[in-house]
Amino acid sequence: MIQLIELTKSFGQLVAVDHVNLHVEKGEIFGFLGPNGAGKTTTIKMLTGLLKPTSGRALIDGYDVVSHPMEAKRVIGFIPDQPFIYEKLTGVEFLKFIGSLFGMKKEDIQWRMSDLLDLFELDGWGEELIESYSHGMKQRLVMSAALLHNPKVIIVDEPMVGLDPKGINLVKSVFKQKSREGVSIFLSTHTLEIAQELCHRLGIVNRGKLIAMGTLSELMTALEEETGQTGTIESLFLTLTGKSFDE
Amino acid sequence: MNEVLLLLWPKAKSIGNQFKHRRTSDLIKPLVMITLAVLFWILIFTIFAKVLVYFKSIEILGEILVVKLLAVVFLTFFLMLTVSNIITSLSTYFLSEDTRLILSVPVSTQKVYLSKFIITLGHSSWMVLLFGIPVFMAYGAVYGASITYYLWLACILLVFLLIPGGIGVMISMSLVNLLPAKRAKGTLVVLFVLLLAALYLFFRFLQPEKLVNPEKFSELLDYLAMLRLPTSPFLPSHWATRSLFPLLKDRFDDSMFYFLLLLSTGFMSVLAGSWICRLFYFRGWSRSYESRAAKKKRLSVLEGLFDFVMRPFHGSTKAMVIKDVKVFLRDTRQWSQLILLFALVVVYLFNFKALPLNKIPGISFYLENVISFLNVGLAAFVLSAVAVRFIYPAISLEGVSFWIMMSSPVELRRLIWSKFWTSLIPLLLLAEALIIFSNTFLHVTQFMMVISTVTIFLITIGIVSMGIGIGAIYPRFRVEDVAQIHSGFGGLIYMIICVTFIGLVILLEAWPTYVIFMARLDNYSLSLFQWIEVVFCFCLTVFIILTAIFLPIKIGLKRLSQIEM
Repeated sequence: MIQLIELTKSFGQLVAVDHVNLHVEKGEIFGFLGPNGAGKTTTIKMLTGLLKPTSGRALIDGYDVVSHPMEAKRVIGFIPDQPFIYEKLTGVEFLKFIGSLFGMKKEDIQWRMSDLLDLFELDGWGEELIESYSHGMKQRLVMSAALLHNPKVIIVDEPMVGLDPKGINLVKSVFKQKSREGVSIFLSTHTLEIAQELCHRLGIVNRGKLIAMGTLSELMTALEEETGQTGTIESLFLTLTGKSFDE
Repeated sequence: MNEVLLLLWPKAKSIGNQFKHRRTSDLIKPLVMITLAVLFWILIFTIFAKVLVYFKSIEILGEILVVKLLAVVFLTFFLMLTVSNIITSLSTYFLSEDTRLILSVPVSTQKVYLSKFIITLGHSSWMVLLFGIPVFMAYGAVYGASITYYLWLACILLVFLLIPGGIGVMISMSLVNLLPAKRAKGTLVVLFVLLLAALYLFFRFLQPEKLVNPEKFSELLDYLAMLRLPTSPFLPSHWATRSLFPLLKDRFDDSMFYFLLLLSTGFMSVLAGSWICRLFYFRGWSRSYESRAAKKKRLSVLEGLFDFVMRPFHGSTKAMVIKDVKVFLRDTRQWSQLILLFALVVVYLFNFKALPLNKIPGISFYLENVISFLNVGLAAFVLSAVAVRFIYPAISLEGVSFWIMMSSPVELRRLIWSKFWTSLIPLLLLAEALIIFSNTFLHVTQFMMVISTVTIFLITIGIVSMGIGIGAIYPRFRVEDVAQIHSGFGGLIYMIICVTFIGLVILLEAWPTYVIFMARLDNYSLSLFQWIEVVFCFCLTVFIILTAIFLPIKIGLKRLSQIEM
């Protein structure tokens, strides 16, 4: 469903994403891990059409995000790390707006919207202006908007920022359910526990390069073979990213 | 005091860094801005100098008028500064991003108050000061004042600014305990715009042109001389006038007394502000974050109407238009500017009603039609001034939410055209109303009526298209204040291009319109050569208008699609 081929993004001299290759299967939750400034958000922005790759390709459901952006965007539900949305609209108006942008029918928007507002516990807030929402509520509204058109691919940048424990739990169960329904999820995070609990496979990125990829047990085994030590996901992450720093 | 300076340090450092990290190519914008500001200065200076010279030449009443004018200037500054300080202090004390951090560090409220007071004063006063300086310089130049006048002026302005500053902070501190900061700011912005509109209408309806009409002259002078408000002895503007005026003649009279009045009141208002701050600041700050914002304004009727009217349009276009209209109507900062627009239109039409054309025997008919033609240019200029405020910012107003458009399956072309149509309809209605009403007041011929309505129709489409296009070329998604969008470099470029475009169209149409008009008036038919000239000019006009419609949109679309968020 998602395929990155030699994907590269440079900002002047700085190579933010350096020839990244990976693929995400249908129904798979792929965790994209890395320290701050590793190139996670840049990769996500290229996948969602907010940035143009310097070279390489990104395919979503077989569509190249540069040559067929509309087709690719139609199947994506994007959840950014910062919920910047139209503050002067109400929650319901915002969802109606998003639904119309995705070409949904009025009736479909209506029933999907009430389901999602209910699911994300915003049902009493739909008629309030977004400017009165808390950060967590805005984040949950953005998630509702991303799921409104039943996307085949969900791309999430730091999904749990600003959410309370209840919200985090809710989001985790929503992602697991979506995965069971066959939706592919590309999740960028540096919260290792979430990656461990949710993701089928992990990709670890540092300084723009994908330095390791596989299931958690595969990565652990590789680490054990290399260092002769067993450890946690945290020690794996630190060893891999720390090693790169040392280099 | 060290802590106050420390609190101001990040602000000062940020400004310094902005200059330090500026590339040579970035110098063009400030240079253009400075050049324009200097030109504006020269214009204000010249106008005031001419008015003052004229007033001085009037026997007996001349000096009274000069003093009255100075008092009016100070009073206007005082009122503007008070309202401006209230609005600015709401931002600096309650809504600015650094407040949360500052309030969490162990610095006393008094220190926070003082540092924020200095920032508020700087933000709200520089504009008024900037445009006030050429006025005071004109006074100095006309009276041949010595250096003492300018030094004294600096002292007076410095203490004069403290008073509206202190009053502004006290009012905003009290207000926030009644209303949440955001709502209080919205309400005040509307009040401020209303005040500006009222002042504008007031001065226009005084009909200052009567000053050149000897019959009405004495009546107006009597009125001005009787104008008591600016000379109320309890107003700081009066003290500033009384303190400054004698210095124009190198005398001191009561200058020191009035200066000390200003000084003591200035410090008192800062001190009183500090007391109010101690009592109300933290309570108001907490309140501004406790209260939920107002419920949405019911716009379902409007939504239904748009839904019906826009039935032929694509669903996403319709959604974007409805979203834009709702956001506009709910954002006080945006719609409040309509009040000023209304005042502008009233004065515009009043000018035509008040034109004394019928007093010029023989040439009235000819003159009315010439003015009708020039009116197209003038109306177009008014429209471009409206467009720079309302249409040019259309793309930038997407703000940080622009990621939604970028990541959704909607082509940017659709976004741009939706903005175009949303802007075009109201501006066209305004344009045609301006032209039809003013032409009716002028009693122009049917031919001129047709020419002007068609021309303004086409020019308006060009103005809208250039507004959207150039707005897309210079988008500013991260601004704290909407006004920053149109007052930036892109807004300036847009105005320059608009004026050039209007000038070109008017110039190109002037000749063929004149030829046809005179032929109809004198009842003769045009020669073949004249027809060729007429057709050529009209074709060239149409070409320029079409270029103005399609080229900016094309470039804007290209630029927008290259944007990376």
